[in-house]
Amino acid sequence: MACRIVRERASSVPLLKLRARPLRLALVGNPNVGKSVVFGRLTGQYVTVSNYPGTTVAVSTGRALIGAEVFDVIDTPGVNGLEGTLTEDERITEQVLATGGADLIVQVADARNIRRALMLTSQIAAFGIPTILALNMTDEAWARGISVDADALAEELGVPVIEMVAVEGRGLRELRDALPRATVPSIAIHPTLTNHAEWAHELTGRVRRVSALSRFRVQEWLSRLTREPATGIPLLGVVLYLFYLFVGVFGAQTLVRLLETYVFGRGINPASIWLANHLIPFAWGRDFLVGEYGLVTMGVTYAIAIVLPVVATFFLMFGFLEDSGYIPRLAIFSDRLFRTMGLNGKAVLPMVLGLGCDTMATMTTRILATPKERLIAILLLALGIPCSAQLATIMGILGGISFAALLTLFGVVLGQMILVGWLAARALKGERSEFILELPPIRWPRFGNLLTKTRARVWWYLGEAVPLFLIGTALLFVLDRIGALVLISRAGEPVVTRLLGLPASTAQIFVMGFLRRDYGAAGLFQLARAGQLTGAQSVVALTVMTLFVPCVANFLMIVKERGTRVGLSILGFITPVSVLTGAGLNYVLTAFGIRF
Amino acid sequence: MCSLHLAYVSKHRRPLSDLRPGDRGVVARLDQQDASRADRLLALGVTRGATIVVLQMFPGIVFQCDQTELAIERAVASAILVDLASS
Repeated sequence: MACRIVRERASSVPLLKLRARPLRLALVGNPNVGKSVVFGRLTGQYVTVSNYPGTTVAVSTGRALIGAEVFDVIDTPGVNGLEGTLTEDERITEQVLATGGADLIVQVADARNIRRALMLTSQIAAFGIPTILALNMTDEAWARGISVDADALAEELGVPVIEMVAVEGRGLRELRDALPRATVPSIAIHPTLTNHAEWAHELTGRVRRVSALSRFRVQEWLSRLTREPATGIPLLGVVLYLFYLFVGVFGAQTLVRLLETYVFGRGINPASIWLANHLIPFAWGRDFLVGEYGLVTMGVTYAIAIVLPVVATFFLMFGFLEDSGYIPRLAIFSDRLFRTMGLNGKAVLPMVLGLGCDTMATMTTRILATPKERLIAILLLALGIPCSAQLATIMGILGGISFAALLTLFGVVLGQMILVGWLAARALKGERSEFILELPPIRWPRFGNLLTKTRARVWWYLGEAVPLFLIGTALLFVLDRIGALVLISRAGEPVVTRLLGLPASTAQIFVMGFLRRDYGAAGLFQLARAGQLTGAQSVVALTVMTLFVPCVANFLMIVKERGTRVGLSILGFITPVSVLTGAGLNYVLTAFGIRF
Repeated sequence: MCSLHLAYVSKHRRPLSDLRPGDRGVVARLDQQDASRADRLLALGVTRGATIVVLQMFPGIVFQCDQTELAIERAVASAILVDLASS
């Protein structure tokens, strides 16, 4: 008897179930409900978590051992629907479900907003995949006087319903335990969106109770401050100024000087020069590492001493803004402006993200509704949005000259973007979509997520930029050795010297800019600090560099998203536009004798 | 009786674009002329019977629909018909 019990247990609870392949568990849900947080909790892998719809625009997969089962957990872009008109990121999720990419669905829902979640549940049911409903952010729902009867909901849907607060890890164990009980929702399949909506509205009325809480909430007060013009516009000024202080002054000046003068100037560079002199018998070998175009003295110094402090401070501040829910509110103010460029206020998301990295932002254009909007946004990102590293070198150089210099640069770049956008809106076929944007709640950012996110992005930067900086430096070294740099400077002279009024030596910096704009900007940074550029020259050179060709990574992303033809057209369009704008600016500055 | 009832309804049924901050009501119906617009609004929970509070009318229209805060342009707002709650 005892023996039989033991055997039964052994057979019903194996240590590891063996299958031909792991079960695929898809996390599906409305945008900004915390799918990526749950993904992180289940797999131990970090994917970017922010407080706005559209943070995740591609599928991430991670492995998790839950109970005796190995799962491939799939994090999907948020969807408001799986039927009807879908944006490109929504279609990605729809495809995962439609092509049998998931054996199991965990629908993550914002407990506060189960009405919309249930509309989605009703559409998920049509795929016939076993499902679990996870009601996330129950703490916020409670704070707003909203309670959901999870048992009644589970009864109605015929699937397990788990309450959780994923950012604190609460409810995760219950979710793991419930996975084997996932079943196909036992609800009628509704034919149209309106039917889904009516069913969800009616069911919500039965399982959700909203008590009128009238206590004063800081969140709501802040939310109003950020979106009303009388307070929102001055607040934007304050935010930009704080950004400038933290990134432009503290990062680009204080930290850069510290690293450059002490860590590199007195530590790493003299030490590597000493080492190279003692260990490498050939002059060219020493030059390759520690010469004028040396891998260490130029490549590593640029990447670590000049760009890294700026990128790190930028991402920290930027992460704070992302997690607070502030960024989408800028769309309210910028909607009219974007409409003149064939876009709508929603485009503020990829544009502001572009200040972090244009490559990532190019992917984020998937949240825009029409192909025309995506193309214009990608073009404007490649043309005028300086990425964090570039922004910092701009602030580092021009901040030291005058505020007017900074305003001139941003004015010219912004004006050029509006002009190009306006023309593109008229020249390109297709339509703009109407502005409809969900605003996330204002939240106090979580310190842990902020640190993890910044660390992940800084590592990503190091992995992405440092190799290119090194390749670029090696390339410059070779060009210098074979005498090609002199040729390039001479060939570029008519443009660089006559048209732009810059010293001939800047030609090679534009060559660097072809590799990465921030690498070129770092080159300008050194040149300016060596006193080789006047104020007006700095403004012209940086304007051209800002408008200049997108970096290699961004170019490849454009090709991936929109094809080679579009990529090359954008490249062929931007290069002359940037140079001509610089020439025009140089002409005006010279004619009026403006020196800054 | 019937005409009286109709008059009563039309007096309180207005497009969202005509409302003022602080106005509350319930979505009566969506203008179906532009199907993809109606789909997008529906997917965001702007459906018949949903409660609405207008938060702001300028520079963009912001309103709360059930538990979702939405920012929309004027053309979209004029397609959402709201039955105002008597205050």
